Amino acid sequence: MKSPFRPDVVPNAGILDDHKPLIRSLERRGLIRGGLSLGALVMLSGCDLDRPESVESALLAIGRFNDGVQALLFDPNKLAPTYPASMILRPPKFNAYYDVVDVKPVSGATWRLELSGLIAERRPWTLPQLQALPQTSMVIKHICVEGWSYIGGWTGVPLRAFLERIGADLRAKYVAFKTTDDYPSSIDMATALHPQTLLALKYGDDTLADPFGYPVRLRMATKLGYKNQKWITAIEVTNTYPGGYWEAKGFPWFAGI
Amino acid sequence: MVCGHMKRVTPIRILLAFYLVSATTSVAHAQSTTPGGMPPPPGMSLAESAAMRFPQPVRVGDLLGRDVLRPVESQDVLGRVRRLVRDRNGQIMVVVDFGGLLGFGSRPIAVPVDAMVLLGQDMEIVAFTPEQLRQFPTFSPSGAADLADDTIIKVGLAKPSH
Repeated sequence: MKSPFRPDVVPNAGILDDHKPLIRSLERRGLIRGGLSLGALVMLSGCDLDRPESVESALLAIGRFNDGVQALLFDPNKLAPTYPASMILRPPKFNAYYDVVDVKPVSGATWRLELSGLIAERRPWTLPQLQALPQTSMVIKHICVEGWSYIGGWTGVPLRAFLERIGADLRAKYVAFKTTDDYPSSIDMATALHPQTLLALKYGDDTLADPFGYPVRLRMATKLGYKNQKWITAIEVTNTYPGGYWEAKGFPWFAGI
Repeated sequence: MVCGHMKRVTPIRILLAFYLVSATTSVAHAQSTTPGGMPPPPGMSLAESAAMRFPQPVRVGDLLGRDVLRPVESQDVLGRVRRLVRDRNGQIMVVVDFGGLLGFGSRPIAVPVDAMVLLGQDMEIVAFTPEQLRQFPTFSPSGAADLADDTIIKVGLAKPSH
């Protein structure tokens, strides 16, 4: 029996070849190789398969749609699982878009945290000033989009407390971060205000080590690893979508867990 | 707008497409743009290359039993950490149960700790290929002193090789 989903006109199979790099970038370990088939593409676009850019923009539109659904589902009061301190992996796992030998350590003495955008008090912060704020600890799982995870213990300033302290407009849409390793990214305000979102200064009671973002990094229990930037140098509160390093390459912006 | 015009596309097909493609966009390939766990450059000593990998303090007891991986995308398991010793020359060596299948047929070899890195819960041998490791002599405990579990040593890092 003919499948009810089979289109009357079958499109040119060459469309999959035209998009090989894009499709490959979406695959992982071949598990979903069958998922993005010509048939799925037919149903997806139903039109203009001969225009390669229409397929790419359609896939990105689906990604944005997923981001929107995740933002709707996000519960600002629901906590991610936490773990006993005995389960902390010491040292934590290193990852970046480059290998560890290319890490550029930051001097805590000269480091400043620049503030911009919808913030009342925009003077830069020093490390001792941040250390003097009330600190919170959490033992949470770091979950990477690549498929691995580990349990880490982080101590620092809740981002919510910091945003309140500097007079940030908490009704703004985005909080954007810049880093010394040229790895910009941004998060939604709901996640920025979540109780498990920290500007982390310590790992397992010790000052953050250089490869893990000294002096200040972001740690969120509710987002994938690549959203947690290290070596943060600037924070901006804004209503203009700031994007980010992986986001510009097609990775999901919301990236919730 | 997903597409400009919708000839012969029923709503159920659009929903199905969303379902299928949303499954594909939520996973992604490895994020790395440069490989991790590269071998030391030619002419560089193991100690020098380890020093470039930001050695971090780690408890010896936390290393025992860890999988030892090959720094390639497939992350082949080369063996398992059995013990850590200080050899006759004062060098810290990781004794790895190397090779075999499902725990049978492996033999212990001593790998300099500076030839290895920490990769999260695992370790990797970055300075020797499996072919070179096969030529390593079987570890002999004479003259080697076990490091106590609570000893803190420093081991370099690498990013995942996938």
